[in-house]
Amino acid sequence: MTEYVVRFSARQRAEHLTTMVLFTLLCLTGLPQKFYTSGWAHALIHLFGGIDRARWIHRCCGWSLGAVTAFHAAMGIAAVVQKRSHLPIAISRGDFEDAVATIRYYLGLRESGPLHDRFDYKQKFEYWALLVGNVLMVLTGIVLIYPTVLSRFLPGELVPAAKVAHSNEGLMAFLVITIWHIYNAHLNPDVFPIDTCIFTGRISRDRMMHEHPLELARLESPTEAGSRERVRAPREVA
Amino acid sequence: MVLGSGEKLSIYVDSKVFGSSVHGEMLRCGDCHSEKTGYPHDSKPFSSRRDLAVAYYEQCKSCHFANYTKTLDGVHYAVMAKGNLAAALCVDCHGSHDIRRASEPRTRISQTCSHCHAPVYQTYSASVHGKAAEEGNPDVPVCTDCHRAHDILDPRDGSLALRTPEICGRCHVNGKLMQKYGLSTKVVDTYLKDFHGMSASLQRVSKPDRRVFAAVCTDCHGVHDIQSSSDPKAHTIKANLVQTCRKCHAGATRNFPDSWLSHYEPTPHKAATVWAVQLFYTLIIPFVVGGLILQIALHLWRVVVNR
Repeated sequence: MTEYVVRFSARQRAEHLTTMVLFTLLCLTGLPQKFYTSGWAHALIHLFGGIDRARWIHRCCGWSLGAVTAFHAAMGIAAVVQKRSHLPIAISRGDFEDAVATIRYYLGLRESGPLHDRFDYKQKFEYWALLVGNVLMVLTGIVLIYPTVLSRFLPGELVPAAKVAHSNEGLMAFLVITIWHIYNAHLNPDVFPIDTCIFTGRISRDRMMHEHPLELARLESPTEAGSRERVRAPREVA
Repeated sequence: MVLGSGEKLSIYVDSKVFGSSVHGEMLRCGDCHSEKTGYPHDSKPFSSRRDLAVAYYEQCKSCHFANYTKTLDGVHYAVMAKGNLAAALCVDCHGSHDIRRASEPRTRISQTCSHCHAPVYQTYSASVHGKAAEEGNPDVPVCTDCHRAHDILDPRDGSLALRTPEICGRCHVNGKLMQKYGLSTKVVDTYLKDFHGMSASLQRVSKPDRRVFAAVCTDCHGVHDIQSSSDPKAHTIKANLVQTCRKCHAGATRNFPDSWLSHYEPTPHKAATVWAVQLFYTLIIPFVVGGLILQIALHLWRVVVNR
């Protein structure tokens, strides 16, 4: 029987699921507005019952994603302030070194890849790109919903600038998710056909050893775990 | 002769007038008045002059079938079918015994419409297009260029307004024509790329309901009262722009019109912020996406090599 380790809490899994659904809906209702001349865009808009309905859905999802992001950030900040977490997702100098080492390993210039802790550099960069992207998308989105409000205080030219940013940032997010995230979560030979960890919350001990050996070592050594990661007691499930 | 309504109808036709009309050398009386075969005629009891005109509506069809068919799709026919006998028939625009070419001279077209649509004609003839047309300029639109001649669209349901990017674009993307007046041909393109143009394009696909439409050409520039955007009366001149924006954007303040780039494409000199944001993404998207694809490729290669 495979041994499992708990990797994600119920709240983290719920956050991922909500973000996934909202992100998909935002892409489906947003991208047709960017590529409004193509046939597929018309078909999609038609599917949602017209541009006005699609735009309504887009805005509801946008507000919701904003709320989820704000909630997530608030919980993260609270955990750091109360010293329950030392923010394992934070990017450090070591992540850049890991990135270089990984590329060197891929190119055959190193015997093996670097050993990762709770999150590897790819996960960290994707996380921060998503977080910063969400904030940018929500802020520029609000400007586009209320263009007259912004121009009461700031130059009107920021409205079309927000539109260009929203449109391009949205496209970039879509491309990063469809290419990078889908590869890492589905097509990557290590996890093919699907990495279920973020949905079930558990990961096999074998994968932990392979992908997050530093975290596993800490989890399994009581003294280390006690000193470095107070909250995360190892819990094994069948 | 006196009709049922008490109106008098002259049954005299000046042979000189008819002779110099377009049909003068082609048609004889009986070609149109085909039911009058003998003398005295079997007189039809027309109750009014209008009834007579309506009854003869069909007579043009036998030769001008294509244009007759078009009128069946026109707003005048639709109004007539609902019982408004004042709606224009062939003879109301073209005349009957004195028919000449409708577009000679070209200004005659708009004058013909003005017989019924006088207030609109007044507005039009004071506009940048109307003034030039009166001066004999053949480049500017007369009524029928936008409204069409026989299959005139009903302007009230918004379907005509919706088509303005295309209608105005017929002239305003014509490089040769616009160069003559120092006008940009990018107006339609820049409009379509902006929020209004994008929204209107998608709304046109899914829901042709004018009430919820994004701005089209005429919403900002005006309809019959279009002025050069350097004219102090123009809706689009800087001094009037906030008022124009407020037609839809109730809370618009002094800065708000700058959120519309006035049909300019962003450059380092015009709308530099927008230009910079655009440039940033033009560089960063290929860099990020390309980098990620490269890393995926390298990873796959490593997986293959390790096997």
